[in-house]
Amino acid sequence: MSSRTPDERHCDRRSRAFTVIGMNAIELSGVRKSFGAVRAVDGLDLTMEPGRTVAILGPNGAGKSTTISMLLGLARPTAGTVRVFGHSPEEAVARGEIGAMLQEGALIPELTVRETVDFIRRLYPRPLPLEEILRMADLTELAGRRADRLSGGQTQRVRFALAIAGGPRLLVLDEPTAAMDVESRRAFWESMRGYASAGRTVLFATHYLEEADENSDRVIVMARGRLVADGTAAEIKAGAGAGAGTVAFSLGDQPAAGLDVLPGVTAVDIQGGTVRLVTADVDATVAALYRGTDLDVRDLQVRGADLEDAFLSLTQAAEV
Amino acid sequence: MLNYVKLEATRMLRNKRYIIFVVAFPVGFYLLYSNLWGAQADESTGLQGRIFLLVSMAAYGALAASIMSTAVPWAQERQAGWLRQLQITPLPGWAVIVTKMITALLLVLPALLLVTLAAVLVQHVSLSGQLLAVIAAMWVGAIPFAALGLTIGSLLRPDTAQPLAMICMFGLALLGGLWFPVAMLPETMRGIARALPSYDYADIGWQIAAGKVPGTASLAGWVAWAVVLSALAVFAFRRATVRG
Repeated sequence: MSSRTPDERHCDRRSRAFTVIGMNAIELSGVRKSFGAVRAVDGLDLTMEPGRTVAILGPNGAGKSTTISMLLGLARPTAGTVRVFGHSPEEAVARGEIGAMLQEGALIPELTVRETVDFIRRLYPRPLPLEEILRMADLTELAGRRADRLSGGQTQRVRFALAIAGGPRLLVLDEPTAAMDVESRRAFWESMRGYASAGRTVLFATHYLEEADENSDRVIVMARGRLVADGTAAEIKAGAGAGAGTVAFSLGDQPAAGLDVLPGVTAVDIQGGTVRLVTADVDATVAALYRGTDLDVRDLQVRGADLEDAFLSLTQAAEV
Repeated sequence: MLNYVKLEATRMLRNKRYIIFVVAFPVGFYLLYSNLWGAQADESTGLQGRIFLLVSMAAYGALAASIMSTAVPWAQERQAGWLRQLQITPLPGWAVIVTKMITALLLVLPALLLVTLAAVLVQHVSLSGQLLAVIAAMWVGAIPFAALGLTIGSLLRPDTAQPLAMICMFGLALLGGLWFPVAMLPETMRGIARALPSYDYADIGWQIAAGKVPGTASLAGWVAWAVVLSALAVFAFRRATVRG
């Protein structure tokens, strides 16, 4: 299908080798997108290194889907620039660097799962093997079934298969689990982690907090078209000031020295042999408590400010 | 792109609506009409009824195939998000419309060939060089109708594309004289018929079948329609696939 000459393909491969080193997977700078008077995205600066899994979290209307449309070249920014692996989104799509699962996308009813997946994979210059795609999306058993006889969850799996079919270096998922039940969701994220584990970059939008928390190593919170927080899920919980987490345990008569310098700890409270640590990062504090000290920690109790609190306080602050 | 053409053709051949309108209708009508009037001669062309009807029904089948395989499927693909799915792959945008056009023309062939087969087997029409020339002309001649279908599919949503495609398909067939000879129609209707691409299209077929060179009026009419409808199809396609 490609109209490129063998020479150009050769150049592509060479430039790929260069772009892998030190090149950001995604770079947005000063990106704005207006629809009439509405600013869907309002001055977004964002860089994403390759090989990471990043969640964009935000309520409906936060600008997540618009941002994704611009990354995929489906929409052009009103102002600012978008680069994907150093190229414009259109170029990156044409080079087969991006695979995506959009919010809506019906399949061709008369075609089987195998036919549909094989068609899409053959459009890419470096596709994954068909059987591997079917296996990764858990579709091997359904390969011969026509698209109009699939359930909603099965259709979503096919759409995931279409997104990974070309073996893209960047996988973009826009609220991929919106129509799934709990079990399908769990299986879906497992498939996603399987794909990401080969050093690929994944960006997904969600408004489920626990999905962002469990499946990403960086969370970007958007509200009203702006970035309102950016960090690990733990950092966001702490940084939002939505009530610091606490770690409590029985110290007995062991020495309390050093507890105040554990990562994240902002206050130490000891009463009757029980310690209460107030921390900005519950996970880091607990980890350091076990790995960084030789205390005998008993009756551990953790009460974290959950991501939900953080999220609400962040997005509500942006509403004002 | 071969991959894409194959996918589109496979998909339409499994579509019941396509099979009914494109294959069953023209062949069925041919068998019925040729049984009734096959032995009579058409006054204006001097053709035997069984050959005159062969051209008419082949023209109707080709017309139906080219509109059916384009308008509604394309409108549905746009609305349901399949177009977006394609837009985020390395498939270039122009490949979509080119593939749709090629596939539409491929899907015209079963209609043409099956009507011809019915004529040869049931009405003992001999498979002459002239008949092959007719088939070739009818095949290429379907271009304006495929372009019309693509235009409808690009401009309208599936729920409005569906009735409009039907109206165009039956209107062009009926008013263009594919179901009843134009000579049977009143004068004003004859005027309308001669302005339609479906009449020009069938007339070219009738003239070739009668061993004549097709008339300038029909050729010029067909070319004009082909140019206008193809230009419209490209314009509408670009409008439908524009990125915001």
